[in-house]
Amino acid sequence: MTHAITVTGLTRRFGDFTAVDDVSFHVEAGEIFGYLGANGAGKSTTIRMLCGLLQPSAGQATVAGCDIAHDPRGVKRAIGYMSQKFSLYLDLTPQQNLEFFAGAQGLSGKARKRAVAEALDRAGLTDRADATTGALPGGVRQRLALASARLHAPKILFLDEPTAGVAPDARREFWREIRAVAAQGTTVFVTTHHLDEAEFCARVGLMVDGKLVALDTPDGLKAAHVPGRFLGVQGAPQALLRQAPGVVAVEPFGLRWRVRLAADSPLVAPEALAWWLAERGAGDARVEAGQPTLEDVFLALVDPA
Amino acid sequence: MRTEILAVAVKELRQTRRDPRTLAVLVIAPIIQLVLLGFAVNLDVTHVPVVVADADQTAESRAFTRELLAGDAFDPVAATPAAPDAMAQVVAGDAAIALVVPRGFAADLKAGRPTTVQALADGSDAQRAVVAQNAMGAFALRWGLQHSPLTALAQAQAPVGRTVVQPRVLYNPTLDSRIYFVPGVAATLLLVVTLVVTAMGLAREKESGTLEQVLVTPMSSWAVVIGKVLPYGLIGLLDLALAVALGSAIFDVPIRGFLPLVGLGGSLYLLNTLGLGLFVASAARTQQQAFMGAFFVILPMTLLSGFMSPISNMPAWLQPLTLLDPMRHMVEIMRGVLLKAATFEDLSRQYGILAGMGTALFSGAALALKRRLS
Repeated sequence: MTHAITVTGLTRRFGDFTAVDDVSFHVEAGEIFGYLGANGAGKSTTIRMLCGLLQPSAGQATVAGCDIAHDPRGVKRAIGYMSQKFSLYLDLTPQQNLEFFAGAQGLSGKARKRAVAEALDRAGLTDRADATTGALPGGVRQRLALASARLHAPKILFLDEPTAGVAPDARREFWREIRAVAAQGTTVFVTTHHLDEAEFCARVGLMVDGKLVALDTPDGLKAAHVPGRFLGVQGAPQALLRQAPGVVAVEPFGLRWRVRLAADSPLVAPEALAWWLAERGAGDARVEAGQPTLEDVFLALVDPA
Repeated sequence: MRTEILAVAVKELRQTRRDPRTLAVLVIAPIIQLVLLGFAVNLDVTHVPVVVADADQTAESRAFTRELLAGDAFDPVAATPAAPDAMAQVVAGDAAIALVVPRGFAADLKAGRPTTVQALADGSDAQRAVVAQNAMGAFALRWGLQHSPLTALAQAQAPVGRTVVQPRVLYNPTLDSRIYFVPGVAATLLLVVTLVVTAMGLAREKESGTLEQVLVTPMSSWAVVIGKVLPYGLIGLLDLALAVALGSAIFDVPIRGFLPLVGLGGSLYLLNTLGLGLFVASAARTQQQAFMGAFFVILPMTLLSGFMSPISNMPAWLQPLTLLDPMRHMVEIMRGVLLKAATFEDLSRQYGILAGMGTALFSGAALALKRRLS
């Protein structure tokens, strides 16, 4: 099976600063690949190199079978790109924006008309095609930008922080759309710093200071980097929980404590911990099973201590 | 390629149409400036304010000043018998010339002796001072010949062996400086409009991030650049047509030559100005930088073009440099075609330089921009 994206030793330096440091990975065709990291970790620099906007200092990468250094136009033909910053023309209407970007993709005549009508429909803007883009609410603009990036039916979609500054309900709606796109066979490469969004990805790569420090499925990452079990406890003091055998960490989580236990702890079952607590005078504590999150993975990798 | 260029050009025009400020800069500002500059930039010296200090107070001295001040050239502002008072008026700026007629003026005339009248000109406006001085000297010579008792004698002597220069000014017989200036003003406006709009437009796209979105499309940089400048080039040509029409209607600038030759010159000139705009744009990161950059280009180009002061008056080392100024050639083409009915052959050097430099500038700028962008 051919990979949609193959990256080998990709490096980009700006003067003395190495933004992306010897990164290698591949993305399967049709998967949602999440690229995680804090601001400045090198996510955008990687994506800009893969889109043919920036030349790598070292290493190589092929996107949709095209070498990014030698055939940037081939890359650009095969991809759709949605940047971190909303980058359609705010002073034009959605219709005019879409007509321009369709033309820029080389579409003309009937093909362009059809692509524009389809994109307006996707963005839910068919009846607001002549509004001023700058006057549209953030979530709608985001959907318009995504529809614009998909005008030419690209094989690979690059989304750089697509939900930055978007309201939570609009974010959920947006991700539903991304999953629908991927279900149709489009490869999606998405960067985000919302760790909850990364759960939607088939595989997740984690960037720290320009280096790719982990890459796996969300479950695989959790199993590898935050071993043990998680339990939610309400109504017991933190000091008591800390004394329980096999406890690794106790952190506040809303009104509850999030208790991480070593996998070999005798108390990994919720009932066992409840019984242990009841024996020590915390009989009304409520214990339920919990799940590790990618946030735990992230914290474990960024700050191993 | 055609689809892409067209898409960019249409987008550019739509943005211009939706932004009243850009539209004002492109079309309305040039018209207002042409009219204002056409009226303001005028080197014809008339109505020079003169204060007369007549110490003689005779019929002859009064006749002399009355006749001097009768025409359009000089306007009397005040009269005083004392020369220091007249000088004070010059210092205050109320008068540009203090004319001092000394005691004994009439007596000298009657006796047929040479006599002197003093004209103190305000040299802080050198141009006006020189022209006024010459006008006054010419008047005095004429007046002296008419009123001297020797006139009869002078006229009786046939002018044997005297060389007489018979001046006749071609193309602009009344020496109306507006006819000379309006073509220059038009070239300046074309430069300002196209250079500023091109540079600012690209800088704005860099600032807002839309340029990145454009660059991630498979469009070639050439399509982006050509599509972007094409509408402004056309608007520039429209401005040029307006300038010629207004110059002819308001300032009586003649159209003696073949007008399409001006259009050809304008097109080649625009290749230069748009190229310069792209150069500025490739260097600037923000609109503010683009604006400053544009003015660093515009000022020297205007000064070296010969539109304000003749190139032959510039120091010898500077003169060859003006050949590199596209505006110089545009001004020469416009003056040549409009005033002198010059043909393509007459102006082939100017056209050649504009075409060569324009192609080089435009391609160079497009390449520089391409490197900057990727």
